[in-house]
Amino acid sequence: MSVVLTARDLTRHYDVSTGLFKPKAVVRALNGVSFELESGKTLAVVGESGCGKSTLARALTLIEEPSSGSLQIAGQEVHGASKAERKQLRKDVQMVFQSPYASLNPRQKIGDQLGEPLLINTSLSKAERREKVQAMMQQVGLRPEHYQRYPHMFSGGQRQRIALARAMMLQPKVLVADEPTSALDVSIQAQVLNLFMDLQQEYQTAYVFISHNLAVVRHVADDVLVMYLGRPAEMGPKEDLYTRPLHPYTQALLSATPTLKPDPLKPKIKIVGELPNPLNPPSGCAFHKRCPYATQRCSDEIPEFRKVDTRQVACHYAEQFL
Amino acid sequence: MSLLNISNLSVRFGDRNAVPVVDGLDLKVDKGEVLAIVGESGSGKSVTMMALMGLVDSPGIVTADSLVFDGNDMLKLSNRQRRKVVGKDLAMIFQDPMTALNPSYTVGFQIEEVLRQHLGMSGKAARQRALELLKKVEIPAPESRLDAYPHQLSGGMSQRVAIAMAIAGEPKLLIADEPTTALDVTIQAQIMELLLNLQQEQNMALILITHDLAVVAETAQRVCVMYAGQAVEVGHVPQLFDVPGHPYSEALLAAIPEHSAGAERLATLPGIVPGRYDRPQGCLLSPRCPYVQDNCRTQRPGLDPKAHSLARCFYPLNQEVA
Amino acid sequence: MSTPTPAVAVDQSLLYPSPYKEFWQAFAKNKGAVAGLLFMILIVFCALFAPWVAPHDPSEQFREALLTPPAWLEGGQWQYLLGTDELGRDLLSRLIHGSRLSLLIGLSSVVMSLIPGIFLGLIAGFFPRVMGPSIMRLMDVMLALPSLLLAVAIVAILGPGLINTVIAIAVVSLPSYVRLTRAAVMGELNRDYVTAARLAGASLPRLMFVTVLPNCMAPLIVQATLSFSSAILDAAALGFLGLGVQPPTPEWGTMLASARDYIERAWWVVSLPGLTILLSVLAINLMGDGLRDALDPKLKNAA
Repeated sequence: MSVVLTARDLTRHYDVSTGLFKPKAVVRALNGVSFELESGKTLAVVGESGCGKSTLARALTLIEEPSSGSLQIAGQEVHGASKAERKQLRKDVQMVFQSPYASLNPRQKIGDQLGEPLLINTSLSKAERREKVQAMMQQVGLRPEHYQRYPHMFSGGQRQRIALARAMMLQPKVLVADEPTSALDVSIQAQVLNLFMDLQQEYQTAYVFISHNLAVVRHVADDVLVMYLGRPAEMGPKEDLYTRPLHPYTQALLSATPTLKPDPLKPKIKIVGELPNPLNPPSGCAFHKRCPYATQRCSDEIPEFRKVDTRQVACHYAEQFL
Repeated sequence: MSLLNISNLSVRFGDRNAVPVVDGLDLKVDKGEVLAIVGESGSGKSVTMMALMGLVDSPGIVTADSLVFDGNDMLKLSNRQRRKVVGKDLAMIFQDPMTALNPSYTVGFQIEEVLRQHLGMSGKAARQRALELLKKVEIPAPESRLDAYPHQLSGGMSQRVAIAMAIAGEPKLLIADEPTTALDVTIQAQIMELLLNLQQEQNMALILITHDLAVVAETAQRVCVMYAGQAVEVGHVPQLFDVPGHPYSEALLAAIPEHSAGAERLATLPGIVPGRYDRPQGCLLSPRCPYVQDNCRTQRPGLDPKAHSLARCFYPLNQEVA
Repeated sequence: MSTPTPAVAVDQSLLYPSPYKEFWQAFAKNKGAVAGLLFMILIVFCALFAPWVAPHDPSEQFREALLTPPAWLEGGQWQYLLGTDELGRDLLSRLIHGSRLSLLIGLSSVVMSLIPGIFLGLIAGFFPRVMGPSIMRLMDVMLALPSLLLAVAIVAILGPGLINTVIAIAVVSLPSYVRLTRAAVMGELNRDYVTAARLAGASLPRLMFVTVLPNCMAPLIVQATLSFSSAILDAAALGFLGLGVQPPTPEWGTMLASARDYIERAWWVVSLPGLTILLSVLAINLMGDGLRDALDPKLKNAA
């Protein structure tokens, strides 16, 4: 297994104007995220709104340049890459979006949309491109006649297949999937998730799977990264994280997730309050205002993201949950 | 005497021969009961409730043998009589809280509007009551929220306001249409807990419409599974999930990632829900059912009592001695 | 490698008609729009085959039949179906030949303002920081002046005549295209499919013309149809003021102008050109309405 993506301390800050004569406020949408990704593996990024997962997705897919930190894809450093190197980077990272209805061009035939990445990035002939497109369409479960059709003629599940096919046309090393099944029905979600797993098996693509649905994440992920207000809270192998979460936020998320077989003996962790305002984050640990175990230290000192047991946790008291 | 008695409800768009969106639905809800209606898109679950409230406009045609709520025949009410019932004894909250509130009026005004319309309150008394309602739905700093506009509130808080508006008339039945789908997981847990507390406190019946079976497992007493406009299974909560009678209920459970923990692929039904052009002659699930027999394709089964529940199937699963 | 089974039974996506058929079905539902379309087809036919359709030469003066009333009135002759004007020229032939000019003016002014309008709108939408505001302020200046006065000013500078009329009308309609395009572009730029195209490595020209522009066409097509009719009206107004097309060229507005004095004596010389302008503008507007209704819902479905 080779490492295809290395992120070190990725940060992204936005300046937001708060008024005509007031100084600009800084939103730290992403505040120091590091991880490594191996081919054929899936890292799930979990968190609620405002945690920075969309910002992370944009940074990983090179749509936005991070304010600081380093990102290496297939060994190539992104910052300061030359034009030719950037072209190669483009081919190595692709994305699947949440909304099946907005991610396809309504005015282009899907055959043309699938062929576009090849048209831009390779020098294949028209016939060769068409052949590749038909092959990919078959792989994702579409029929050859669908080539001529427009997106509005397909159901949500079919559109996600098309979006996935388009992302895989260039056989990227890394695929970032931003809530790809949140908008789909349960049974369609199952079909699409199966397709994701099949394609990963075939092409050994590394996935960054962003989701807020912990049940889905448990099914697809190898490793899980839990984020809160732009910072990593906990990161580690899936099973360890689910059976014995070390960060109180992870515990809260797992407890809040409804389950088919509720255990009457396991009380729900009551989490009060709302997500903090990113323009005015709490001092110290961002979670301390809502954490049932918070102490004075939590309010004074930002916890370090450090190694505990098999994973990394950003909590002063992580050891007590072991 | 049930609080709500729906018998043979059908909703069509177009003329008498159009394909029904809701097809011969029977439903009973008792006082103080929590019933969940589960289904995917196209199952007709939302349209059923709209029909109950009288919100289906032409070209929709609503027909039923009986549609009785709290002794009122909902089909025969005049608009004026209906307005006395809907919003007071029968209330509803919707999926997207951000769009359910009128953006041009303050929160206080909108709650007071309900109080004015249904309880005849005004002035100071109304404002006082509105404040009490906000406290009841556990909004932090309720005094300041009375004068806030909806866009200043987060999703969770907007949904709390919507709930306050719904319970202002002290309803006998509250319909919640996917109330937490648009919210984050921890907020979702808070809102569901709030709904259940209110339900118990006021001995209010609650109909919860959702596609999330896990939420149903944690909150409802009875569940009705809908498919393509028909009720395919109605039963009690833990039993139906432990021992599903209808193949569709089984498939729905199997498609949930939590259910097939550890399995490589999720079990799925091939195909998609029948649309307007391809409604089967016989059982609506017959093109996709793994247990289909010959007569399933030609005859429509009725919703009959089977082993643990009412199931619309000739060969229900887990049936005791026939 | 096993693939998930695709939809069995009937595949919904193959039941859909092609987009052209879908569009025509939606358009045909609007009876007014179809009526407008038929009238326009008649006008286009007249314009294309004017020399063969018109009974007489439009400039030929029949000295013995000055101000003849239309054929169905007393004193009228069947030779001159709609009567003659003050110089004895057959009105019907002049109207038919006039349709050429009106269509020409409408078409060329629309094309001359649509193409630069789209370019400027695309640039304004894609570069919202510097170029966008500059372009929009320029358009605001143009919009601040009443369109007819602006057209009059331009023609006064350039001199009267057909080409200058077209230029004046084109300049006056430019800002609305730029605004429309820019608004549509800015709406589309946030959509995921544009991001997906960027991710695929699309260059800026490709993004502009292949990815985004086709999705902005609906409001533009409607606007183009409607400004066709206002182009005819503007040309008529300029002609009426004596600034547009010069006599003896048979342009409907100019015909109106030169017949001003004969309203009481020979109402047909004024009313018939006026009626023709009215009917054409009405037809185009009905068509434009039908187009908008047919195109917009599709846009909503596709979204």
